[in-house]
Amino acid sequence: MSAAAHDRSQRTALRGRPSAPPQPAAPPQPAAPSALPRRRPGRGRDLRTAVLFLGPALAAIVLLRLIPFAGAAYSTLFERVGVGLLAEQRFAWFANYERLLSDPLFLGTLWRTIAFNLVINPVQIALAMAVSVLLVQHLPGRGLWRVFVFVPCTVPLVGSSVAWGVALRQDGPVNGVLAALGLAPQPFFTSPQQALFSIAVVASWIGIGYWMLFLIGGLNEVSQELYEAASLDGAGRWRSFWSVTVPMMKRPLLFVLVADTVANFVLFVPMQLLTNGGPNESTTMLMFDAYRRTYTYSQPNLGATAILILTLIMLAIVAVQFRLLKEED
Amino acid sequence: MAVQQTTRSTGALPESRRRSPGRWVGTALLTVLAAAIGVAFLLPAVWMLLGSLRPGSEVIGSVSPLSWRTLVPDTWTLDNYVALFADLGFGRSLVNSLLVALVSVLLGLALSVPAAYALTVLRFPGREGVFALLVVGFMVPFEAIAIPMAQLFTQWQLDNTYLGLILPGIGNGLAIFNLRQFFRGVPASLREAAIVDGAGDFRIMTRIYVPLSVTALINSALLIFLGQWSAYLWPLLLVSDQEKQVAAIAIARTFSDTEFNFGQMFGGALLISVVPAILLLLLQRHFATSVASSGEKG
Repeated sequence: MSAAAHDRSQRTALRGRPSAPPQPAAPPQPAAPSALPRRRPGRGRDLRTAVLFLGPALAAIVLLRLIPFAGAAYSTLFERVGVGLLAEQRFAWFANYERLLSDPLFLGTLWRTIAFNLVINPVQIALAMAVSVLLVQHLPGRGLWRVFVFVPCTVPLVGSSVAWGVALRQDGPVNGVLAALGLAPQPFFTSPQQALFSIAVVASWIGIGYWMLFLIGGLNEVSQELYEAASLDGAGRWRSFWSVTVPMMKRPLLFVLVADTVANFVLFVPMQLLTNGGPNESTTMLMFDAYRRTYTYSQPNLGATAILILTLIMLAIVAVQFRLLKEED
Repeated sequence: MAVQQTTRSTGALPESRRRSPGRWVGTALLTVLAAAIGVAFLLPAVWMLLGSLRPGSEVIGSVSPLSWRTLVPDTWTLDNYVALFADLGFGRSLVNSLLVALVSVLLGLALSVPAAYALTVLRFPGREGVFALLVVGFMVPFEAIAIPMAQLFTQWQLDNTYLGLILPGIGNGLAIFNLRQFFRGVPASLREAAIVDGAGDFRIMTRIYVPLSVTALINSALLIFLGQWSAYLWPLLLVSDQEKQVAAIAIARTFSDTEFNFGQMFGGALLISVVPAILLLLLQRHFATSVASSGEKG
């Protein structure tokens, strides 16, 4: 017992950074050389501490982001001779990129992913903003309506996919309601024209409430005095929304817009679970395309090439997000 | 309209406007709209809840003819939940999800807090570059490189392990950013005084910076937890062993089974929503504020 305690106090003394309990037990050793560096506030000390404190995070980013990314980038330069995961590999320069970027199916996927994001993200944020503005008004039962809208955002994407996968079936309740209203039943996930819209519903049911969490936080911080001043100047609700709310909310709005784009660019669950990219490729997005090339078609090098293109686009979007965050300093 | 114009021209205070009939009608209309939107968002969740409490075949069977019985069961049963826990081993998957998410939070904070602290108080060359690398690198969702990473993890023999499920989720760019933003709000004089008293940086971080940044810590913990809790692609790629599988995939498995039971699926989908729901309802304030307005806190 005493040996262990002694060992522990010695170790903490050597480290020069006594952790809570053993400190009083250890007799003071004024001449301990290792106690010196921490008294000297200098660049050397800072650098050593920085290495210790940043070590785990840097190791994580190297092992969990940079190495896999570099490995994927390297594998895009090879081609498989023959079919399957065990086929021999051959260096092929940029053949994978040429093949992918001249493949109309891939170009269609790339374009579809971008177009989907250009539509769904602004629409989701505009709806989230509209509902947020409505639910910060002093209305009876405001807290209750807010909770109602927030409830879906606790449902993970897989849960939303299950819910809407059943609700939008041919014989599901949405078509039941349409029939009761005298309207024709819709094919939803089984139609090339409606499948992508149905996937947008899956993502938006949970997404709108989630982004509202952030927007309502921002709206509450807009000074009430600005609204009173606008009201004294004769501005109505509509006018003060555009000349007070929107300018004051510019940064939170931009931030959630970019964050939403980051999330939706890698949207995968509803395609994998509900549509399998179809019908007629109408719901094939980059993430699902890379997954299918790698695991279903056993073309890991082409899959990695798609991943690389996806990651580079993501990096560009995230760089914008980072700039937006930094601007708030 | 006429009422509003007169009050405006006389410069009346907002209180008197609120009592005017036009205002009252506007508030009533907005309330109806708010209620309609609220109910529209809630309804699918209620339908899932009630559907999970009726025999599975009735979820679709009750659609035609459409009546209030489409929503409210005439036979109430807990069979779906019994089947989920007894036959499908869903409890095990839930425990796995919880374990993975909680350990990810612990490791994630152990990694992000010292990093954010070092990037706030220490001066060393390349500090801003390291900060940008960590935040941007960890902000790219790891789904983007999940496929090559899964191949690498399999080589490292981390497939079908909890460690393999945990590791990719521990880095969160927003968490590091928010923590640093909060740490910058702590007066530097506190650290200087502590250094004079002989405290090391580890002690300063744990005794001064961490207690002053509870909101940022909760926010970071939630970001990491929710990210792992809803992870789907990564466990799909990495884990084939049912014993180690997380709840999100377990539900998807029941969905792709040939003899699917909608009541069971709804029950499972609701069960995985309960934990995030509790966390978000309890900690909502900490979660929203620090992301939407991190600038003002720093």
